Amino acid sequence: MFNKFFKKLFNRIEIHTIRTKLIISFLIIGLLPILLSGLLSFNIYRGAINDRISDYSQEMVNRMERDLEDYVSEIETFLSREQDFYINQFIKLTQANDFRNNRKYAFRIWEDFNNLKQMKPGLEDIAITFQDGRRISSYGTFSIDINEFKNRMYSNLSGDIFFTPPYSNYLQKEVITIVSSYYPEIAEENVLISADIDLDVLANLTDFNLGEKSYFLIADQNGDIVYHPDQEKIGKRSLLYSDGFPNRKVNLNGEQYILTSTFSKSTGWYIISMASADEVEAELNYITDITVYLTLVVLLIIILLTVYLSYSLSKPIQKLQELTHRASENDLSVKIDISGNDEIAELGQSFNKMIRRINKLMEQNVREQKLLRKLEMESLDNQIKPHFIYNTLDLIIGLLENKDFDRATHMVEALGKFFRLSLSHGKEMVLIRNEIKHVKNYLFIQQFRHGEEYEYIIDIEDFEIMEKHIPKLILQPIVENAIYHGLLPAEKNGLVIVKGYRKNKNIYFKIADNGVGIPTAKVREINKILTGELKTDDQKKYFGLRNVDQRLKLMYGGSSGLTVESIEGEKTTVIIRIDQRGGK
Amino acid sequence: MFAQKNRILIIFILIFITFLNLPAAAENIDQQEDQKNEQEITIAYVPRSLDNPIFLDAYEHAQEKAIDLGINLEWVAPFAYDAEEQINIIESLIARKVDGMVISVNNTPEYINVINKAVEAGIAVATFDADAPDSKRLFHIGINNYKAGRVTAEGLLDVLKNNNIDYRQQGKHLNTMIMTGVRGALNLDSRIEGFLDRVENTNIRVKDIIENQDSVNLSVELLEQYLQQNPDIDIIFFVGGWPFYVPAEALPNFQQWAEDGGIAVGIDIFYDALLLQQRGLLQYLVGQDMATMGSKGLSTLYNYIMYDALPQEYIETGVEVANEQNLERLLQTHRPWRVK
Repeated sequence: MFNKFFKKLFNRIEIHTIRTKLIISFLIIGLLPILLSGLLSFNIYRGAINDRISDYSQEMVNRMERDLEDYVSEIETFLSREQDFYINQFIKLTQANDFRNNRKYAFRIWEDFNNLKQMKPGLEDIAITFQDGRRISSYGTFSIDINEFKNRMYSNLSGDIFFTPPYSNYLQKEVITIVSSYYPEIAEENVLISADIDLDVLANLTDFNLGEKSYFLIADQNGDIVYHPDQEKIGKRSLLYSDGFPNRKVNLNGEQYILTSTFSKSTGWYIISMASADEVEAELNYITDITVYLTLVVLLIIILLTVYLSYSLSKPIQKLQELTHRASENDLSVKIDISGNDEIAELGQSFNKMIRRINKLMEQNVREQKLLRKLEMESLDNQIKPHFIYNTLDLIIGLLENKDFDRATHMVEALGKFFRLSLSHGKEMVLIRNEIKHVKNYLFIQQFRHGEEYEYIIDIEDFEIMEKHIPKLILQPIVENAIYHGLLPAEKNGLVIVKGYRKNKNIYFKIADNGVGIPTAKVREINKILTGELKTDDQKKYFGLRNVDQRLKLMYGGSSGLTVESIEGEKTTVIIRIDQRGGK
Repeated sequence: MFAQKNRILIIFILIFITFLNLPAAAENIDQQEDQKNEQEITIAYVPRSLDNPIFLDAYEHAQEKAIDLGINLEWVAPFAYDAEEQINIIESLIARKVDGMVISVNNTPEYINVINKAVEAGIAVATFDADAPDSKRLFHIGINNYKAGRVTAEGLLDVLKNNNIDYRQQGKHLNTMIMTGVRGALNLDSRIEGFLDRVENTNIRVKDIIENQDSVNLSVELLEQYLQQNPDIDIIFFVGGWPFYVPAEALPNFQQWAEDGGIAVGIDIFYDALLLQQRGLLQYLVGQDMATMGSKGLSTLYNYIMYDALPQEYIETGVEVANEQNLERLLQTHRPWRVK
């Protein structure tokens, strides 16, 4: 399926060279995992950063809430004090306008309140306020508008402590005030005991760096801003308020923020973190840039490696292809020079071997063709000897004169077949069936010529071999030798047996005659010449035997060829062995 | 022609119209006065600090007077003296548009500026205890500090004489240390000037002037350190009563120095100072009438605001002295300020 897809793809974009295919394949194989893993890592990291920002923001607001509650709790502890003798005395004497005795209590309260201020940073003022607005604080004694002050107060969740939104206090400082009621035992009227908290305390509590655009704010349950880095917004209703401050992404003045909040039960305030999404994105963009740059670098390295590897792999193939092309154009002088031990080098070596083999075969073929032509010519020369033809034709004439038309017809027919099969339409290989027919025609003619002085038997044991191909004119020269050199000199009724059979995937022919035979020494000499053990300069010596033997060896290898066996005065047998496994 | 002929008639008509309008004008003035009377005015007292009990007399009497006059009195100051913080308080009073303020300040540019700013904002400003005469303040109420310094010096000379110490012998100098609040505080500088003028023809020589930054704690610390390093000093002149607020036990070096014959005189009389004098640590004291500064200062400013009664620029409250003869009586009339 993939193969089809790639084939279609390559065909469509006309990519046919191995080098281009290799480059594309390497790029796909190399880049795909990197891109996938890069994308995966980036997404995982991106998610982790978003989670980290959210966790960090949540942790920050939780921490601020704890710090705020701790701070407020300490103030509350002070405000929720049990009966204080000096305060009680001061309240009693103030209500009685006994300034003479009261001054020492006033002094003591100033001293106490200022000591507390020293101990608690951010505590701007501490005051006791009577219901008519008279007040003693760490700055002295004065009066305030009690109604205005009470209108400003709102209670926390438990209802025992009151808070005010930010406002300018007596000293024109921006504060929030925590208020508690104090019920002196000795007076009927309760008083308010309050602590002014500098807004800087809230600023310090929220002084965490989330980024340049990011910030924290504090708002009350109604969404009114208690603290904001932009002081102009303090006291105003927050635009972010939506039945509380649920965690979410918000768009504020064209900026995206990640809102994280927590609620302080003791103060009834929300502590809200506004982390700029742009700044979070900026960090992500930085990671994106790093990922992109790294990917580009890896891509570049992969491309370079791909080009190098493709070049290294395809160069010998291209060379091979080029030389193969030259070889196909009949330039068999090519030789590939590829170093190494890999498959391509082996292929190159095989190519060289093949070229050498082709050259050798070409040479053999040429030599064989030459021999074949020569043999054919000699065969024709021998067979078309005038007396062969004249005798044969005289025989035919005699038959005609005797009105033995049937035999005359057979002779003409045999002669025609003989010549036709000798030529075989120029084919080098012929069916054994045809080669046998050729031998039969030859024996028929020769038998007729020589007055039927001998008989012949054609015995093919395994008929399957009849459909096998063998080089032409393999049997006829041997049969000819048997007649002329075996039977005719014997002056007796001769017999020629041509036997064909198969044994161990080899095809064997035995041509035996009961003629004069061959002396043993000569038989040995012939066999030595045929096996190559003995060289002879006389090209005509045993020409027929050597011709057939060489052609068989050329065609089927060294295991094929002729063997001569003879008993002088008795018989001669020529064995033809064709080893088909060695054939081309 | 007509005008000439009827001149008498026209004059008569004009007089008649004026006569008719007089009751209406008087009624209008009365209404304004009534409106002013009905409206509670706010006057703030700004002492130098809350931790200096010397101001408690003024505080007490100012409160009593405020009740009498129906004034909303504010008594505000930094707990420990701090010029910047005191100025901030005055600024806040300006922002809150009080009707008047009585303040104890220095005659320095920062104070002068803030006083002038208050005056320009329509607030009546007076000074008490320490003056800023270069400002646009309405009046100053307090002692004649120069005179107080001279009186203190005269008391010192009497003590020396009674102790048979020759202050005219030119061969031997009586080395003196002066402890003041801050240089530049006009009241304190005047006291020093009066003191020095009076002892000019004696063998009393000022060896050191120590500034305690108007701080009670620092004054005690500096005094003890000084006497540790200079036990042979003959005389100490306390321009104010800063170190007198602590018991004798808190001043071991000073105690030892007095036992060894050291002579200490000073300005400011209050209960704790009299106790030290009783134990022989101080020989002569000159006191300010802080109660009058509280009550009269408030009533004078009230009258100015309510009735445009222009006061004298300087209202002197007079001084009292504490010596061996009247010490027991003074201990009966002055009361302790500390909560026991």
